[in-house]
Amino acid sequence: MEEMVFEIKRTDENGNMKTQSYNVPKDKVSTVLEALLYIKENLDHSLSFRYSCRMEICGSCAMEINGKPHMACSTTTDSLKGQKVTVAPLKHFKVIRDLAVDIDGFLEKYRAVKPYVIRDDDGKYDSEILQTPEQFHEYLDYSLCIKCGICMAACPIEGSDPNYLGPAPLAAAWRYIADNRDQGKKYRLEIVSGEEGTSRCHFAGECTEACPKGVDPSFAIQKLRSSMVGLEFQRLFRRR
Amino acid sequence: MNEGPLGWAKFYRKGVGYFAFAMHRLSGLVIVFYLYLHLFVLSHLLSGAATYNSLVTSITYGPYDSFLVLDVLLALVIFYHGANGTRLALNEMGIGLKNHKVMFYFFESIAVVILGVFLYYAYMFIGAA
Repeated sequence: MEEMVFEIKRTDENGNMKTQSYNVPKDKVSTVLEALLYIKENLDHSLSFRYSCRMEICGSCAMEINGKPHMACSTTTDSLKGQKVTVAPLKHFKVIRDLAVDIDGFLEKYRAVKPYVIRDDDGKYDSEILQTPEQFHEYLDYSLCIKCGICMAACPIEGSDPNYLGPAPLAAAWRYIADNRDQGKKYRLEIVSGEEGTSRCHFAGECTEACPKGVDPSFAIQKLRSSMVGLEFQRLFRRR
Repeated sequence: MNEGPLGWAKFYRKGVGYFAFAMHRLSGLVIVFYLYLHLFVLSHLLSGAATYNSLVTSITYGPYDSFLVLDVLLALVIFYHGANGTRLALNEMGIGLKNHKVMFYFFESIAVVILGVFLYYAYMFIGAA
């Protein structure tokens, strides 16, 4: 029976790291997540990893597969070159155990950009707020984010500056600014224009490349920057 | 987790964007180092023409003419940095953001052509000397 070798970077509760290899029958699994489940059920019950929906919706099973961040559930074993697969926890996240990482810091950054519709009328509007299909498509792509953290792991700046807001939160900021129902642009631009905001991005573009849902954070960051320039011009002329 | 600037160097198996970013940083550091080295060499002019000429002669002729190889490497670094910097400046203005990889290859191809022209004239210069 043809087998694949899964080399998994494991970390115990004391932070000790080791790489462990498992042989998985090729015909028993079709995705990396299935291989991990096979290992857990048949070879090593102690292997820890996070997963839920198995269909690239929940964003739980993001991990580094063959050196690049991917969703384990949607990475088919056929798409991987060779018989050896290296699996490691997502970069730039604190490892809790084995392949499970702590996403609290990431979610804090996400919260910081106020990812919800802000209204000046505090939600007490009289009539329905209409939205044309064109207005809906302005932000649709950015609303597809599943908060998997893959873009954060792919971003080179995120690794050297953990305080940088990062691609996903910045894309979320743009998602709400681009929404015609939202009136919180001034608050969000204030947040993303800080030292740890969009100015930290150097357009490596890896976030966009890595996103499993086709979200384009680097484009969102560019839109945020041009919005900030526009806002600064407005302020400049208002002073005069 | 903070990987520090050393994390930039881990571009193996990463994408073109990561490589472009890492090399842009590295080439930037080399250019800054060269700038200070250049100013240091020029500062010898303060001690008179004889001191300066003696220094320049010692590093460009005789057993140390291998500095010419470093000059070629410096040209490579400058052309790379300039080409990628132009791409980034255009990206900043929203031009070609969706095709940043193609733009990287395009601008770096131009850099290679300019480097070729530079090498030709450098060779002619050495030949003439």
